[in-house]
Amino acid sequence: MHQTTAITVGGQSRPATSEDGLSALSTPVRSLYAHVPFCFHKCHYCDFYSFVDSQDRQPAFTDALISEIRTLARHARRASPGSARPPLDTVFVGGGTPSLLRPDLWHRLLAALNEAFDLSAPGLEFTVECNPETVTPELIATLRAGGVNRVSMGAQSFNTTHLKTLERWHDPENVPRALEIAAAGGIPRRSIDLIFAIPGQSLTDWETDLARGLSLCTPAGRGIGRSGGLEGSGGVEHISCYALTYEPNTAMTRRLARGEFAAAPDDLEARMYERTVELCAERGFGRYEVSNFAQPGAESRHNLAYWRQQQWLAAGPSASAHVAGWRWKNVPRLTDWMQGVERSGGYAPAADVEPPDPRRALAERLMMGVRIAEGLPGHEILAAAESLGARDTLRREAERQERKGLLRVSGGRWTLTDRGFLFADGVAAELMSVLQR
Amino acid sequence: MHIRNFSIIAHIDHGKSTLADRLLTSTNAVSEREAREQMLDSMDLERERGITIKASAVTVTHHHVPGSKLDQLESDVEATPGEAPAPAPAKPKKGKPAYDPRSELYMLNFIDTPGHVDFSYEVSRALTACEGAILVVDSTQGVEAQTVANAFMAMENNLTLIPVVNKIDLPSADPDRVAMEIEQVLGLPAEDCIYVSAKSGIGIPELLAAICDRLPAPRQPEVSQTRALIFDSHYDDYRGVVIYIRVFDGRLRVGEKIRMMGTGRTFQVTELGKYTPKPMKVESLGPGETGYLVANIKTLKDVRVGDTITLDTDPAPKPLPGYKEPRQMVFCDFYPTSGSAAKGNDFEELREAITKLSLNDASFTFVPVHSEALGFGFRCGFLGLLHMDIIQERLEREGGVEIIQTAPTVTYELEKTDGEVLQITNPAELPDGSVWKELREPIVRLDIMTPKEFIGDIMAMCGNRRGIYKGQTVVSESRQILEYEIPLAEIIYDFFDKLKSITRGYGTMDYHLLGFKADRLAKVDILVNGDPVEALSLICHRDNAEYRGRQLLVRLREEIPRHQFEIPLQAAIGGKIIARETIKSMRKNVTAKCYGGDVSRKRKLLEKQKEGKKRMKAIGSVEIPQEAFMAVLDQGE
Repeated sequence: MHQTTAITVGGQSRPATSEDGLSALSTPVRSLYAHVPFCFHKCHYCDFYSFVDSQDRQPAFTDALISEIRTLARHARRASPGSARPPLDTVFVGGGTPSLLRPDLWHRLLAALNEAFDLSAPGLEFTVECNPETVTPELIATLRAGGVNRVSMGAQSFNTTHLKTLERWHDPENVPRALEIAAAGGIPRRSIDLIFAIPGQSLTDWETDLARGLSLCTPAGRGIGRSGGLEGSGGVEHISCYALTYEPNTAMTRRLARGEFAAAPDDLEARMYERTVELCAERGFGRYEVSNFAQPGAESRHNLAYWRQQQWLAAGPSASAHVAGWRWKNVPRLTDWMQGVERSGGYAPAADVEPPDPRRALAERLMMGVRIAEGLPGHEILAAAESLGARDTLRREAERQERKGLLRVSGGRWTLTDRGFLFADGVAAELMSVLQR
Repeated sequence: MHIRNFSIIAHIDHGKSTLADRLLTSTNAVSEREAREQMLDSMDLERERGITIKASAVTVTHHHVPGSKLDQLESDVEATPGEAPAPAPAKPKKGKPAYDPRSELYMLNFIDTPGHVDFSYEVSRALTACEGAILVVDSTQGVEAQTVANAFMAMENNLTLIPVVNKIDLPSADPDRVAMEIEQVLGLPAEDCIYVSAKSGIGIPELLAAICDRLPAPRQPEVSQTRALIFDSHYDDYRGVVIYIRVFDGRLRVGEKIRMMGTGRTFQVTELGKYTPKPMKVESLGPGETGYLVANIKTLKDVRVGDTITLDTDPAPKPLPGYKEPRQMVFCDFYPTSGSAAKGNDFEELREAITKLSLNDASFTFVPVHSEALGFGFRCGFLGLLHMDIIQERLEREGGVEIIQTAPTVTYELEKTDGEVLQITNPAELPDGSVWKELREPIVRLDIMTPKEFIGDIMAMCGNRRGIYKGQTVVSESRQILEYEIPLAEIIYDFFDKLKSITRGYGTMDYHLLGFKADRLAKVDILVNGDPVEALSLICHRDNAEYRGRQLLVRLREEIPRHQFEIPLQAAIGGKIIARETIKSMRKNVTAKCYGGDVSRKRKLLEKQKEGKKRMKAIGSVEIPQEAFMAVLDQGE
């Protein structure tokens, strides 16, 4: 599916690697994403690169990941002169199911990470995605010792029927249990993921699910975990609520095509989303991105880096990076990635490589930035558009979106209205289109 | 030398082209070795579809003993006579007999005609140049609808017919039954039929003898001046227009200045020749002869098929009785697809392709049109539906352009209250109902040949489509011809397909135009969000209007994407709403998950989403995709 991109240098064509983008790095990079591809079971809606775990490949994977992380740190150090270990503000380990990695391997990985990067920045956000089944006190202790201070728990639903539709087999009661373990083990920041618009799910079903999720929240008015106050409660400060998306090449999409079930009607899905916003707000969870809700100050800084078009490093198969205007994706196949990293001393073979392009960069900035509640910095955006000769057309398009009641342009920031959040893709497509040649 | 001019006419697939090939090999015009299957059909498309589209005229020579019923074949005779093309060096072949000393030399000019109903005009052009015709009927099938139509057309042109029962080598052949059908339906004596197998060569000597013996010689010149009839033409990249002519009076010579009597244009003849079937130049063409003429003519527009050629220095006082111009009965628009990337020169490419094709096919018409929805294109007129399909295919294949085709419509005649009569080829052109006196539609005489057991179903279908039963003819014990008068509009959509499915493939049909007749016709306007969209309007019978209107709205509801507001779709006749559907408003358009790894893919998706919108046509605030305009195409019952 993903071929490495061919890069032509001096008339010679060769496969691209992460070195192409990393060599261009010249300003400090403060975020790192690492991908752990192992899973128990391939969930039917999931299009992330993952495969069912065979424990025997975990050590070799860990070695390769450490090798890639060291290489990333070397490049980051060059771009942050004066620091022996380049500091990071956010680290996110996703998957797959990172919590499936054996604690001893986690130990090695975290030690190497701390050796390569400086993780002592105040306000560091270090997230690991966890499957509620796999959370043990031992794992949590290991993570905590390595600097992890946030877990993101894949709850998806508390309704066994709907979990079954998603081919998720965990016991929903494991979710609060896992959160308790994390809290007890000293992980101060906790988040859960929920999915709505599952085939067969009614509005009431979803409201019940969401209410259950919100009932796990950190009691309002008490400090957020970062200050270390709430470790024992098992509460969450952050909820992601995703409408079920039928991604191409997933089992869910094939089952839909076969007519095994009907997708939730558009109207119902929209209504569920509107209720989500309302119910979250009632419990003090503000929408700071289309699908992400958090208590004040508990927003995911790592994900905000994506939406704000900041730089980040990437390690592991299929992980995406954004460095010095370059975008690429490490090759997804574990074997290809491992061999590439081993042979090149830490560089991953790269696919979907996109070299810097101001037009593309602005388009992406509009697309990503419009999704967050803080919106886009209007003046900066227009200045960027000016150099592309699109300042006036972009401003007019933004104003057109404002007249349609989807966007607020006044006040220096371009922010979606409540209605605009329902049509974020349309707004983004219209704004981006003025940049197209 | 004796001359015989004849055509071969047949129902489609009854073996006309194979017979033409066999005549070429049997008269040594082509050796077996060079014989290609259906060599008269030069276009790829003809070969692929197995049908003949362009008529071709070919000249061969043959030795015939007057009065003989069975001739030697040239291919079985030792020497090649002097007049034959490219004589091989004298190297007598052993074991072959010599010519019968009593034999005389005949020049056979034969014209391969198209068999399909749509091309009856081309058939009629070819027939006018002939004195006789070979009527080919498949001995495994029998007389079919087009057999009858073509035979009657030949009889109207006073041609002598030689009925030929073909494919008698096949196990399922029943030549005696077919000969009886020919007698019963066409009135040609069964004993006059010649049984042949064009494929294996059985009966060919008898057929050649009959051509020489039974068909009349060309008529004697009637005037002293030169008169030649243009019966076909094609465009050649190197020589310009090549005209097929039949000389009736006088003589044409290379170098002479000719005049087209209809257009008055004059040209210098640079080449005369015959196809044997290879082109063979000659110095002159005399009375009764058929051949081609090249005169440095740059465009087919300067050549009107049916026109008479005379000499500029000594023009004939009167042209030959002319042909009727072909009448285009089916119309649709062709637009360039903006499929890949919307390129500005797509229209120019289409124009070039259409212009080029029109050099080769004078029977379709085209005028530039602009559609609100689809941009610039051409409104084209065709002889019939197959003709339309073939033109589209040739444009795409030979012209390398991709085409969007709109729904076919027929020509309507509108008589206004002030007496003016308008020809309406596009429902959008139809003026407001208040100025109508009468709207008339083309009515055809439809002959359907069918096995008896399907008659009930066919009658029901014709009845549903406003057909008026006119009678039936018994062809044989098992088959009959049903005769109907029916509006052309009722048969242009899917009638033939339906007929084929009812009769399990055995039914055949033919139609010809009877005239125009008023009926309770209505123009159905389609309103999208309250705005009328002309490109979607249609003309149909008042009784069907609600059904057709609703059907179209349902299709539109599927094709027009949801907007952020509700869109009413309405069908209306003169302001009165007859059907209504609603496109519900889109409630959301947002991707739930969009993180660092999704950026590139997501960006491409959104750009595509916007790209798709660019190809839509905004009517008011509603964006309508091209597919919606195509929905009128699927308006069958």
